[in-house]
Amino acid sequence: MPAAILAEDLGKIYVKRRSLREMARRPFGRAERVTALAGIGFEVRPGEIFGLLGPNGSGKTTLLKILACLVLPNAGRALVDGIDVARHDRAVKRRVGFVTADERSFYWRLTGRENLHFFATLYGLGAAQARSRTSELVSAMDLAGVADQQFMSYSSGMKQRLAIARALLHDPPVLCLDEPTRSLDPIAAKHLRRFIVEELNARHGRTILLATHNLQEAEEICGRLVVLDRGRVLRQGSVAAITAGLPGREHYMLRVRDLPDLPDDARWSLGVERRDGDLARIDAAVDRGGVALSDLLRRILDGGGTIQACSRREPSLQEIFDRIDAGPARPEEP
Amino acid sequence: MRVLRTLQAFLKRDFLIEVSYRTSFVLQFLGIMFSVLIWFYISRVVAAPPTTPGLDGLDYFAYVLLGLAFFHYLSAAMMSFAGKVRNEQVTGTLEAMLVTPTSVGTIVLGSSLWDFVLTSFKVVVYLLVGWLVFGVVIHLDSLLSCFLVLALTVLAFSGIGILSAALILYLKRGDPITSLVASLSALLGGVFYPPEDMPAWLGIGSRFLPITYALHALRRALLRGSRFAELLPDIEALVLFVAVLLPVGLLAFRFAVRKAREEGSLVQY
Repeated sequence: MPAAILAEDLGKIYVKRRSLREMARRPFGRAERVTALAGIGFEVRPGEIFGLLGPNGSGKTTLLKILACLVLPNAGRALVDGIDVARHDRAVKRRVGFVTADERSFYWRLTGRENLHFFATLYGLGAAQARSRTSELVSAMDLAGVADQQFMSYSSGMKQRLAIARALLHDPPVLCLDEPTRSLDPIAAKHLRRFIVEELNARHGRTILLATHNLQEAEEICGRLVVLDRGRVLRQGSVAAITAGLPGREHYMLRVRDLPDLPDDARWSLGVERRDGDLARIDAAVDRGGVALSDLLRRILDGGGTIQACSRREPSLQEIFDRIDAGPARPEEP
Repeated sequence: MRVLRTLQAFLKRDFLIEVSYRTSFVLQFLGIMFSVLIWFYISRVVAAPPTTPGLDGLDYFAYVLLGLAFFHYLSAAMMSFAGKVRNEQVTGTLEAMLVTPTSVGTIVLGSSLWDFVLTSFKVVVYLLVGWLVFGVVIHLDSLLSCFLVLALTVLAFSGIGILSAALILYLKRGDPITSLVASLSALLGGVFYPPEDMPAWLGIGSRFLPITYALHALRRALLRGSRFAELLPDIEALVLFVAVLLPVGLLAFRFAVRKAREEGSLVQY
C-alpha cells in the first residue's frame, strides 16, 4: 500500500516580482528569492494523523497548498496515494479535502446548505447525491439547525465546521487542515479536536495532515509530526520522541506548602512564581532522567514541606526551536 | 453533461445572490427605462434624418436603441471574466473552488455565465420598451441569424475578456486592454452614431473592432428584416475575429494559471 502522503526532497522558492522603480534603478539586478521549503521529506501512513508543527512563515501553508495543487513545487516531488501532485492535479484533488485557514471562503449571502450544495457540484456530485451528502454532513457537523441560515450569520466555530463539511463532500481519504482551531475559543477548539480524532480519523479512517503552531494541540491529536522552521524539517517523530531528545532540562510545576530552604544543587534550579501565604508555586528546571526530580521531591519532604501538586510543563514551541538549534543533530525517527 | 451541471450550479448560485439584493435587482431594470427615455429625448433633439450616412434609412432612436442594448453584451463579455476572477480572489472563494477537480476554465466560464443571462434579459427589456412604449418596429424574421451574430460577438469579446482575466491572475491589477477596447468600441464601433459619419481617418478604426460588424448585422436583421445572405459579410468578419481572439485569450489564460501556480500567487490579489 503506498503512503497516503509522501514528500521527497520537496522544495519551493518564491521569486518576488521587482517593482518598476527597482527595475529602473537596477535593470540587470536579480529578483529576490524567498525559500519557502527546502529539501522537505516525510511520509504519512494511511489512517494516520500527522502534524506539521511550526511558527508562522515556517512553510506549513505552502506545503499544504502544494498537496492541494494550488502551488507547484520547484524541486522534489509530493505524492498523494502514489499520485504526483504536479502532474495529475485533478486525480489528486479527488483524493484530498483541503480546509483553508481563511474563514471568508464562502458565499456570505447564501445559506450553509446552498454553499455546500454548490461546492458538491464542483466536486462532481450529481444533484440527488449533492443533496443527500449535504444533509448528512450538516448533521454530522452539528449544523442542521443553522444550515438554512445565511452564512454571514454564522459564528467562527460554525464557519470552521462548514469548511470541514465542504472538504468532506467528495469523501476524500486524505484531509489537509490548515490551523483549523486558530479562530476558535478553547471549548470549540477542544470539540473540534475531538471530532477530528474520533470521527474523521478513528471512525472513518481518514488520513489527516494537520498544520498547527500549537504544540499542545499537536501532542493531543497527532501520532507523529514534523517540526518545520524556515522551510526546513528540524525534527520528525512523535511529540514525546521529539521533546525527549532535546537538550536542556525538563520543567515541572510544583505546588508546595511550607517550602523549606534547600541547599544549592547543580542538578536543579527553582523559580518561585507565586506565594500565597505558606503555599508556593514553583517552576523547577530539573536534569533529565528522573533521579534529580526524585531527589528534589525527597529534599522538600525531608525539609518539612508538603507537595500538593507536581506536573510536567511542556516546552513552548519557541523553547523547542531554541533547544533544537542548541543541540546536536539527531537521526530521524521512523 | 457534468460541465453543464456545473454551469447550472454557477447560474443558480449567482441567481440566489442576485435576488438576495432585491432592491438593486429591481433598480437595474428601472435603470433601463430611464436610459431608453433619456435617449428617446436626445434623439428628438438630434433629429438626424434617416438619410444620414450610416443610418441606412433607419430612425436615429431605433439605431441608438439597438446600439445601447447590445453594447451590454460587449461589456459583459469583456468585463465579466476578469471582474469575477478578481471578486472571487478578494472574497477568498477562488481558492475553495480551485481545490475542487473542476477545471479552471469551467470555473471562469461558470462565474461569468450569470452576467450573460442577466444581460440577455436586459437586452430583451430594452427591445420590449422600445417596441411597446416608443413604437420601434422589430423584425423577428431573422431571429436565428441574430442569435448566430450574437454568439459570434460574445465569443470574440470573450477572447478579450479571458485575456483580461489572465492579466488579473498574473499581474493582479486591472488591465488596460478592456478599458481601451471598450472605449474604442463606444467611440468608433457605431454604438451611438454611425462610423461613416466620422472623419475617414477616424472611422477607419471601426473596421478593426468586432462590435462594428455585430451592430451592423443586428440592426439590419432586427430593424430592417435583412436575410442571412445579406448578413454574411458581417458574419464572416466576426468568425475571423473569433478565430484570432478566442485562442489568444485561452492560451494566455492557461499560461497565467501555470505561472500563478508556480509563483504561488493564484489566490493573491
